[in-house]
Amino acid sequence: MTTVSIHGLRVSYGSRPVLEELELELGVGVHGLLGPNGAGKTTLMRVLATVLRPDRGEVRLLGRQLSDPAGLRLARRQLGYLPQSFGFYPRFTVREFVEYFAWLKEMPPEAIPLAVDRAIERVGLLDRADDRMKHLSGGMLRRAGIAQAIVNDPKLLLLDEPTAGLDPEQRVEFRALLRQLGLDAVVLVSTHLVEDVVAACARVSLVDKGRLVFTGRPDELIAAGAAGDSGDSPIERGYAAVLRGAREAAR
Amino acid sequence: MTPVPFVRRTAQVRRMLRVELRRGTAPVAALAMFGAGVWMLAVHPDHWAGRWAGLADYFRVSMLILCALMVAAGAWQAGRERRRDLGELITSTPRPGWHPVVLAWLAVALAGTTGVLLAFSGAAAFVAPVATYAGGGWWWMLAVGVVALGTATAIGTLVGRLSALRVAAPIAGLATYLGLGILLYGDTRAAAWLSPVSPGWRMHQSIPDWVTAGQAGWLLALTVLSLAVAARRWWMAALAGGVAIAVAVPVATGPGPYRLPADPGAVQLVCTDTGPPVCLSRINAFLLDDVTPVVRPVLIRLTEATGRPWRAVDHATAPAGTPDSTDGDTVWLYLDSQSTVRGGLARPDWLRADFHTVTRPRCPVEQRREPDHRVYQLSSVAAAWLLDASHSTDPPAPVDPALERLRALPLAAQHAWFSAYLDAAARCDVPALIRLGQPQ
Repeated sequence: MTTVSIHGLRVSYGSRPVLEELELELGVGVHGLLGPNGAGKTTLMRVLATVLRPDRGEVRLLGRQLSDPAGLRLARRQLGYLPQSFGFYPRFTVREFVEYFAWLKEMPPEAIPLAVDRAIERVGLLDRADDRMKHLSGGMLRRAGIAQAIVNDPKLLLLDEPTAGLDPEQRVEFRALLRQLGLDAVVLVSTHLVEDVVAACARVSLVDKGRLVFTGRPDELIAAGAAGDSGDSPIERGYAAVLRGAREAAR
Repeated sequence: MTPVPFVRRTAQVRRMLRVELRRGTAPVAALAMFGAGVWMLAVHPDHWAGRWAGLADYFRVSMLILCALMVAAGAWQAGRERRRDLGELITSTPRPGWHPVVLAWLAVALAGTTGVLLAFSGAAAFVAPVATYAGGGWWWMLAVGVVALGTATAIGTLVGRLSALRVAAPIAGLATYLGLGILLYGDTRAAAWLSPVSPGWRMHQSIPDWVTAGQAGWLLALTVLSLAVAARRWWMAALAGGVAIAVAVPVATGPGPYRLPADPGAVQLVCTDTGPPVCLSRINAFLLDDVTPVVRPVLIRLTEATGRPWRAVDHATAPAGTPDSTDGDTVWLYLDSQSTVRGGLARPDWLRADFHTVTRPRCPVEQRREPDHRVYQLSSVAAAWLLDASHSTDPPAPVDPALERLRALPLAAQHAWFSAYLDAAARCDVPALIRLGQPQ
């Protein structure tokens, strides 16, 4: 079932196009979004997070048109978002911070306390729930950010560089969480860490210079690479091969 | 989605408000406002002590500082979203943007107002045991001040939403202080009624109800306007702006602040039962026990010497436009800044100085002509003689030889001299006054 549908998407900053004629369909499951720096990954995430209005094109989230204010509000209620640069109020405790976002996401008041505790537990911060945000380490802050993103059990979860700052053990736990979340929601993870994609994603999309140059399963991306391609792992070789092919085709 | 019942919805808002009250700018705002309130109260207890109306008016005088602090606090709170890089995350949520804006504003406004009201409650504990008049519209003056604090916070919120710079908050506070100060010293009718800062009304006067209601309406509309612009609710902003103008025009163009009617209850006379009458207004009557021992000996001396003036009366009770000079029968007393924190008389010397109106020669002021210094010296001698009965200075003042000579005369001769002096002073008979000043 397709729950995110993008057609002819164009986004530009001034006269510089960042996304050009982008087409993408996403269904339930964990999707990896790969691409070099400046490819347009974060811009795409911001469009899907409804904080950036596209110049052109159609975006449907969870079956709702974003151009319709009522549809936008309903879509936002089912959205979870962790931006690349995650800010926080340092004096809030983890629980208060997550609760604040539960309120902003218009969750039913009676469901909030339980949902907050559950979200904090899922990211493994329950023992630090009453600590102030300013006392958390970088990795813990990232996990608190994920907790606020998942507190409303979103149907569309957008995570921009979620594993930045997590140690290997936390990354393993986080991948397990991703797989769990992807059972009944669309989870889009933008990352540079291709091993996360292999480990956690059912599908992967690769963006380069504002265009979608690959979409498929991780094993298909791996298969695109050859022994002579640059990269230390099969998926890195596949990634490099697809990029090289797309750039040669564009010439 | 099923509509959430109001009670549950407000319960969650209250919970988020509690979080903001604990974790936002609110605790600092409360502390700063409490400190500012205590400081303001300590600077001029003579303005508020003993009178409810004085306390309410001083609350409004303090708005010069308090509003500046609230603007700064509001700006700091509203700027945190961008300072902390949370704007994008919050934008991605479905809750209308004005909800978190109003929540943050409310937390700071509540905390700041509570802080300053706590300080003024302390002052009220000193006023309550001594105040002799509780009527009048002072409650409304206080209420408009509370509304003004909310308005200042809302303006700060708007500033904070427009600029995420850390210096925006202190600059906005300073600009508010300067702006309100300029309005105060501009001394225009519009400034008097549209600014929340009171220039310090005389406490026995009352502001018409419609002006107070207009002030409240203007400040409320300004609050809604600021919050609406901060939350980019343009239709609401236009509506609030229209209301603000509609309310401000009649208030700003109405009667000026210098012809305020007296509150009949406040100026009701309260007099001593025995001896030469000393009468104070009801609002100042708590000073009667302290004023009487200072004033009565001088009145006795006056009545023994000349028979007139025979009474001392609080000038607050005089009809509007009454000059401060004696009318022959009455010496007017000025008691507006004459109270200590516990309701005692602050400056007996000032009270005694009110009797100088009796001895001052009634000579018309002529431009480019210096008054004869001999007349001036003689009026000092007459005043010193009159006030001598209760006079004491530490260290003792040097004695004027002319005063010594006067005191050396028999009492009847002293009375005759003083009576002749008052007669000549009332007519501004300079030759007669100079003759009275010569050794006899």
